[in-house]
Amino acid sequence: MDKLSIILASDEFERLQAASMMASVASVSGIDVNVFVTMGAMACFVKERVERKDFIKVGEVGRAVLLKKAPLYFDLLSQGRMMGSMKVYACSLALDLIEKKMDQLVPIFDEVAGVSTFLGIAEGGQVLFV
Amino acid sequence: MSEEQKVDEVVDARGLFCPGPLMELIKTIQLKPVGTVLSVLSTDEGSVKDIPAWLQKVGQQHLGTEKKDGFWDVTVKKVK
Repeated sequence: MDKLSIILASDEFERLQAASMMASVASVSGIDVNVFVTMGAMACFVKERVERKDFIKVGEVGRAVLLKKAPLYFDLLSQGRMMGSMKVYACSLALDLIEKKMDQLVPIFDEVAGVSTFLGIAEGGQVLFV
Repeated sequence: MSEEQKVDEVVDARGLFCPGPLMELIKTIQLKPVGTVLSVLSTDEGSVKDIPAWLQKVGQQHLGTEKKDGFWDVTVKKVK
């Protein structure tokens, strides 16, 4: 089976949308997908922020996504996990830095992982850095 | 589209954005037995191109796409 690993590091709403769409469609197309959420992206998965719809950087297309009520990045990842083969990892360092635990994030994460763990998971497959 | 193929199930995904229609199709096709013919209705043109690409990737059959009044009808057969 093909393998795709996506490192999600950006806090830009549109990048999160695009990467999450890639991830979910890949996972329902028979590709094993691993997503590693780290740095700026980590803050965009904090439950209280998501509930307030307080997105950090939203551009013109992102505003249209919100206005038209298209599915948001965490919905897309959630769909991909439910309907395909996808695992989502939260970077342990980024979580420590923003002083959050996994239960304070939107419930789409499988586990907390470090870089070495994720490199092991990603080994031998394609990697996208966003 | 082949006229003799009877549609067993309609997936009405009109109004959904990409990849909504594809996801709705997948949700339904997973639950249906082999041989089921599904018709996906979509107002999103991207999905109309995306669904046949997905079908090819996973080895399911695209029976045809028809342009209707303001939407597309993509007919699919579950073959495995």
